[in-house]
Amino acid sequence: MRAQFVLSEIFIGLRRNLTMTIALVITTALSLALVGSAMLMRKQVSEMKDFWYGKIEVTIFLCDPVSDTGQCHKTAVSQDQQSAIQTALYANPVVQKVYYESKADAYKHFKDLFKDSPDLTKNVSPDALPPSYRVKLKDPKKFDVIQSEFQDMPGVDAVTDVSKGLKPVFSLFNGIGTSAFVVAGFVVVASVLLIFNAIRVAAFSRRRETGIMRLVGASNLYIRLPFLLEGALAGVIGAAIAAGLVSIGKAYLVDQVLAPNLKFARWVSWADVIHIFPVLFLIGIVLSTLSSFFAIQRHLRV
Amino acid sequence: MERVVKNYPTSTRPALDDVDVDIDKGEFVFLVGSSGSGKSTFLRLILKEEVPSAGRVHVAGKDLSTLSSWKVPALRRSIGCVFQDFRLLPNKTVFQNVAFALEVIGKPQGTIDKVVPEVLDLVGLDGKAQRMPDELSGGEQQRVAVARAFVNRPMILIADEPTGNLDPQTSVGIMKLLDRINRTGTTVVMATHDSAIVDSMRRRVVELSQGKVVRDQSRGVYGYGA
Repeated sequence: MRAQFVLSEIFIGLRRNLTMTIALVITTALSLALVGSAMLMRKQVSEMKDFWYGKIEVTIFLCDPVSDTGQCHKTAVSQDQQSAIQTALYANPVVQKVYYESKADAYKHFKDLFKDSPDLTKNVSPDALPPSYRVKLKDPKKFDVIQSEFQDMPGVDAVTDVSKGLKPVFSLFNGIGTSAFVVAGFVVVASVLLIFNAIRVAAFSRRRETGIMRLVGASNLYIRLPFLLEGALAGVIGAAIAAGLVSIGKAYLVDQVLAPNLKFARWVSWADVIHIFPVLFLIGIVLSTLSSFFAIQRHLRV
Repeated sequence: MERVVKNYPTSTRPALDDVDVDIDKGEFVFLVGSSGSGKSTFLRLILKEEVPSAGRVHVAGKDLSTLSSWKVPALRRSIGCVFQDFRLLPNKTVFQNVAFALEVIGKPQGTIDKVVPEVLDLVGLDGKAQRMPDELSGGEQQRVAVARAFVNRPMILIADEPTGNLDPQTSVGIMKLLDRINRTGTTVVMATHDSAIVDSMRRRVVELSQGKVVRDQSRGVYGYGA
């Protein structure tokens, strides 16, 4: 099979329907870019979950002279109370790991965390922060068990679920991801139909050529291949553009806008972005080739 | 090697009705009859563009009814076709039109560069290789079509009213060309209305009427004579 001949046929075909080709490349690119963003969104959520669930999920603040809430009444936790809490924590089946954070540790941690805001650290004295137990759970969802057990223990100020504040963020990202998938689905359908039509038009406008090819005994593959590759090429170009769009999104939206302002989490890396490229190309090629295949089946007599 | 046999006990639909014809290799056969008598169907069956509703067609010793579809291209490579409306590609030159037939069956460029000028020379179009089809007369266009049909040296040449659009004098030129091709050993099957040509060539004539063979004579004439 002569590659040069097949290639020239493809380009003649794509040029002949230039507007249609552009339209289908754009829709393919858009749909794949949406698929790509949705996948990154998913990745982002799981990344954040790993990040936060990998850290301590539950903090048990202990009573301290500065705390006025609950059962503390401005008195520090006693030694007995604290060892009772510690023993109960180690004995609890849902607890995986326990770290004790003393007042001094808490102050250091606080200074570390807000080292970019000297105004804030200046106004907080080393006495202001209560000691706490940082607890890592075997199953992050078992927060309720811990809360009900320790909330009323003497010497406990408060039990907080650290990841609770992130739940709206997770569900926001999940929601955006799901909507991106849904919109992507519609646009994918549109691009598949466009490819189907473009190939149908191409088959019609080249019916003289294909007719002669049939008569002189060109093989089915030889007659069909230019059409199939035409569709596949549109898919490849579309996927390439989609990859570009996703990269731009990562470079600007994530790296320049989100990451500098929202430092509480790790953001998707370039490795994650590059990982989805093969998927985009695969989807692009498979869908466009399939739809051109069906277009040929229906509209090209061999 | 190839005895070309076509048996057509065909069809409930009387496009061709119980037709049984043998054509030997190297023969020159006219297929005559009025419009709708089944000439074109006859030719399309040889190409396996149509399959018979009953009966069998044998080409080059192969039974087309058992020929698998992926072998049909190979069959068609051994058959050249010429039509009344030439069927040239208007955006390609004469050379490219003939070369196209070889390109699409995967012949290397070297072969194409060698064979195409030879066949253009044979049909008397040397020197016009770079012309576009619409710059040529009807007769010249039909020569291009014959060149394209013959460039792959088929065993059989099928011509469906090749002179239908041509004036009598040009037709004679085309017939001489087909005759020359026939003398190279190629079987020629030609459907025609042109009585003058049939009468002058004195070759085998098969007459079809309403899908039936009503006459089959070697060295026949067009009309109801002899």
